[in-house]
Amino acid sequence: MKVSRNWLQTYFEKPIPKATELAELFNFHAFEVEGIEEVDDDSVLDVKVLPDRAHYALSHRGIAREVSVITGMPLKAHRIPTGPEATLTKMPEVRVENTQFCRRYMARYAEIPSVKGSNPHAEAMLSAIGQRAIHSIVDATNIVMFDCGQPLHIFDADKVVGTIVVRNAKEGEKILLLDSVAGADREVALLATDHVIADDEGPIAIAGVKGGKRAGIVSTTRHLIIESANFDPTSVRRTSTRLNLRSESSKRYENEITPELTATGMNDVCALILHNISEAQFGPIVDTYPVKAKQTHIDFDPAYLEERLGITVPLADARDILMRLGVHVVEKKSSWQLSIPYERLDLMDPVDIVEEVGRVYGYDKVQSALPPALEDMVPMDKTFYWTEYLKDLLVTQGFSEAQTYTLVSKGHCEVSYPLASDKSALRERLTPKMGEVLTMNAHNADLLGLETVKVFEIGKVFPKSGEKVSIAIGVLQIKKKKGVTSESVLREVVARLEKISGASFAARFETIGGAMIAEADISMREGSGVPSFKGKLSELDSGLFSKGKRYIPFSRYPFITRDIALFAPADTDEEMVQHVIQTSLRDSADKLLVKGPDCFDRFEKGGKKSFAFRMIFQAFDRTLSDEEVNGFMQALYTAVKGKGWEVR
Amino acid sequence: MKEDSPRGHLHPITTTIREICLVFDKLGFSVVSGPELETEFHNFDALNVPADHPARDMQDTFWIKTKKGEEKKVLRTHTSPVQVRFMQQMAKEGPKPFKIIVPGKVYRNEATDTTHEAQFYQVEGLYVNERVSMAELKGVLEHMMKKLFGDDVEIRFRPSFFPFTEPSVEVDMRWRGKWLEMGGAGLVNPKVFEAAGLDSKKWQGFAFGFGIDRIAMLKFGYDDVRLGYTGDLRLINQF
Repeated sequence: MKVSRNWLQTYFEKPIPKATELAELFNFHAFEVEGIEEVDDDSVLDVKVLPDRAHYALSHRGIAREVSVITGMPLKAHRIPTGPEATLTKMPEVRVENTQFCRRYMARYAEIPSVKGSNPHAEAMLSAIGQRAIHSIVDATNIVMFDCGQPLHIFDADKVVGTIVVRNAKEGEKILLLDSVAGADREVALLATDHVIADDEGPIAIAGVKGGKRAGIVSTTRHLIIESANFDPTSVRRTSTRLNLRSESSKRYENEITPELTATGMNDVCALILHNISEAQFGPIVDTYPVKAKQTHIDFDPAYLEERLGITVPLADARDILMRLGVHVVEKKSSWQLSIPYERLDLMDPVDIVEEVGRVYGYDKVQSALPPALEDMVPMDKTFYWTEYLKDLLVTQGFSEAQTYTLVSKGHCEVSYPLASDKSALRERLTPKMGEVLTMNAHNADLLGLETVKVFEIGKVFPKSGEKVSIAIGVLQIKKKKGVTSESVLREVVARLEKISGASFAARFETIGGAMIAEADISMREGSGVPSFKGKLSELDSGLFSKGKRYIPFSRYPFITRDIALFAPADTDEEMVQHVIQTSLRDSADKLLVKGPDCFDRFEKGGKKSFAFRMIFQAFDRTLSDEEVNGFMQALYTAVKGKGWEVR
Repeated sequence: MKEDSPRGHLHPITTTIREICLVFDKLGFSVVSGPELETEFHNFDALNVPADHPARDMQDTFWIKTKKGEEKKVLRTHTSPVQVRFMQQMAKEGPKPFKIIVPGKVYRNEATDTTHEAQFYQVEGLYVNERVSMAELKGVLEHMMKKLFGDDVEIRFRPSFFPFTEPSVEVDMRWRGKWLEMGGAGLVNPKVFEAAGLDSKKWQGFAFGFGIDRIAMLKFGYDDVRLGYTGDLRLINQF
């Protein structure tokens, strides 16, 4: 909700705090302010009004009340004059068929000499909060809605035929809508669960959502029917959502407003029309209000404040806060009888009062305390401990833990409105993604210093038989070694895990490319062959969390691997060679050398030592070229030869 | 090879969850879990988020296609449904005071960027007793943040709204000179006790929910939440 500081100021005699100070006060006592914008000589606060406060705070009146509650500044007593008396006798005929849906309907006939254009003051007020001024009549309805929170609508009385009826739409009934913003008219078809304002010829508005074109105001309009009404939130929400017609009006209705506000809206809009068009004349107000709104009364024990907040709020302060909120307080012997203002539909129970007093008094005054120890401790979730235990076992076997997406392209459980086609279903197995993870990491094996890519994932899968916890263990052997394959490594590890843990996994093995993956259901259930449970959280590896280790960003560009092999005299050691390589590359490649030099081979032959080193080059901001790396290597060969060593 | 099998690496989310659970274990909270594929009742209705109510818009939801007549299912949008499941179990077995902590994966149907992901981890805490206050909530959260981020952190509450707590607050932490939004909390709304079958006249509680990815990212310094779900060992093997 965009809130103009100038607009708020009209509620007070004395100057209110600056926008930045208001934002600070709101943030700590009411609602989050998401931004402040300077507009001409005004400041506009973007206030995030959440659904509980939307009954009253989607209005400058509601926000002004908050300013008064938080700062203690009194609100002006008579800000808006009582609306005009009836000087005409003409009255619209109104019939409310569905009183569940329409809790109150007020209508009033009026005559004007012409639809005047917008006045500059209205234009400034509306544009500050991001609204467009249209003409004096529509502006009046908008200003009153943003002021007090009551949506309003005005029909051209000459185009309304017969009786105004508030009723359910007929299935398939059509209405051509006003669309002043896009300029294009739109016809929509209605369902029997929608509600319309209709005359003898058909719908003239979708109730609470949008006006129809047929009885809309045009420049030649002289006779008006002013509507102020209260509609059922759920129904308005369903209709506006289905038709994709969410408006400032529907937003206020769907959050629910009190039918008591209907009269305020009618009064204020008539007063404003008269203010804009002094020749305007009005008929009597027709008010259909079958069941008057009940005021909420709460029996409140003030000791409950201390019990729930954990601080002592002086009772005089608590009472003052409530009174500033508009709550009528009658102090009885052991409790307070609170009468809640009609617009505060969010205040129903004593806990709601605790929140109101707590936030205004200030949560900063709440002092920390720890809850008492309990006699019984809840047993730890077995699957949780079991999965964490397995993670630790796998890490000791050299495996790293991956986490991948639950949402994949195909599966038994499908998502209704997926973000993307490759994320339209819940995974049934972990294996396919594990294959991708192994392949991706294999490309970086040199950089990671891995001869074998070993990864596992533990997570929920959703096959036809239902949600369960699955483990996938994947191996991709990169370095060729005699007798060692992805499969041999994996089978050995699974056997070892079963031996250590005492569980039998009944894993399913699968080959994807050169990788081998084992997947098993590890949901903890009775008789599932899982070892008896004795684990403690403190026995788990807590990793580097408290060690202050920080992430070092990696380059997303390809890297280049180069080896150098050389012969040196027998008295040369590995460190000497490494030092020579490092020195040369520090001068030429500098930070482009991201890994190495690592000695990966050494032997002695004919009184000479042979060394082989591997280096990896990579740039952070671009793809390195072979030519560039060749340059570093040429310089390195020269340095090595300079030592009298022989490059192989 | 010198080392035939060097140690592998735990995912940063795993170590973060363990650290959090350990902190709460010492305060007497036990780890509890629940399904990721939830019923509409547990994810929304029982948590005082009725159908066709604006509060439903606060979380973009992945609905699962169901056949006619089947109960509507969602990928849980928060770990809070586990509160309801646990309290239902309590109501059945005979209620008594308890402290639980629920780490787990949750889902939101929203566009992703460096700080938003369609799946992420949350940790839920719930303490129920005959008398529970905001002071205790603040004490527990302050303790948690100090243990995770160091003794010099401060926390503060700002008013907020969650249908399942009343009062509701946002929890901020001051760390390295900056105030950071860390999570939401509040006193358990009596309506949630009633929906779960516990007597709201007798029982009180506090609940909180924090994003684990956010804690992991702050702690380990990686700057893109999505990086955690790529399986890229260039991240994982750093930790």
